[in-house]
Amino acid sequence: MFRIAQRVGSTVQCVVRNNIQKSSAAVFVRHSHGKQESDEDFDNRYEAYFNRPDIDGWELRKAMNDLQGMDMVPEPRIIIAALKACRKLNDFALAVRYLEAVQEKCGSRKNEIWPYLEQEIRPTLDSLGILTPEEMGYGKPELAIQDVYSM
Amino acid sequence: MAGRQLARTAIIACRLPQRSICTSTVCRSDQVQLDPQTRDKIYPKLGNREIVGYGMNGTAHYIDHTDFPCPAIRFKENTPEVLALREKEKGEWKALTLEEKKELYRASFCQTYAEMNAPTGEWKSITSIVLMGMFLTGWLLLWIKVYVYPDLPKTINREWQESEVRRMIDMRAAPVEGVSSKWDYEKGEWK
Repeated sequence: MFRIAQRVGSTVQCVVRNNIQKSSAAVFVRHSHGKQESDEDFDNRYEAYFNRPDIDGWELRKAMNDLQGMDMVPEPRIIIAALKACRKLNDFALAVRYLEAVQEKCGSRKNEIWPYLEQEIRPTLDSLGILTPEEMGYGKPELAIQDVYSM
Repeated sequence: MAGRQLARTAIIACRLPQRSICTSTVCRSDQVQLDPQTRDKIYPKLGNREIVGYGMNGTAHYIDHTDFPCPAIRFKENTPEVLALREKEKGEWKALTLEEKKELYRASFCQTYAEMNAPTGEWKSITSIVLMGMFLTGWLLLWIKVYVYPDLPKTINREWQESEVRRMIDMRAAPVEGVSSKWDYEKGEWK
């Protein structure tokens, strides 16, 4: 974004002059490729993506996997859009899976972040009939898998 | 190979996955439809399971990983029971019982996140093996001391040590900061 640079210069002899120059060029330079988008734009983009009427299972899953790889917890509106897309594609399991994935992104601060998220998405959960993982009974492990190294 | 087939229909963009125009693979609402060659390459190994997405790396494998919530294929095969449940899934989800919901989940996924993250108890076997190893090493060292090492030299005893120190004091060895500096020569004893 743009920053206003101020430069104060002074001459050598007794006369001190202040030169205040405004430069309108973008002074701070990020040496990454392309311009960084704002959080707002990012959220809008993903919400719009999930809200697409012609989204299919492949794209939904790819977007979920991509979000999972990012160092962030998705905003409630992105989660709501994803859940609605699951409803559109008639995939209940995917909705629950995504909720589990979001809980995983909360990491060690799950007790702070998840209650807020759940409160925000509760209307959607109730209207679509999606259960949270805890309500499903998947808050704790249910089944055990045999260790591949001892087969 | 198969990965490239699946990957060709999606973008490897880091931001927005878009689909490239590809004539060989078409994605429809739930099922990926493949051309015959790809199908023959992937499908015998897959059983009757549908491919549903890109997965971890574009290959049609089922992998449980916390970083990739949506694997490329469903976990269980499309048996008649599962297909019946899928039909029911198209209606109101509130009409599904908890059992049915769990069945649907397990049909698509093997382990839940809780199960993936659950502790394995492996630390107990690791600790016990390490301690057993240390125990055996202790016995080995004892055996080596008894049977391998030669006798200690005859100079390793108290009298010899004392007379050595006496000799060092007599010849004023290390007088500044060492042995002789600690000896009081007038009194003939340690300071």
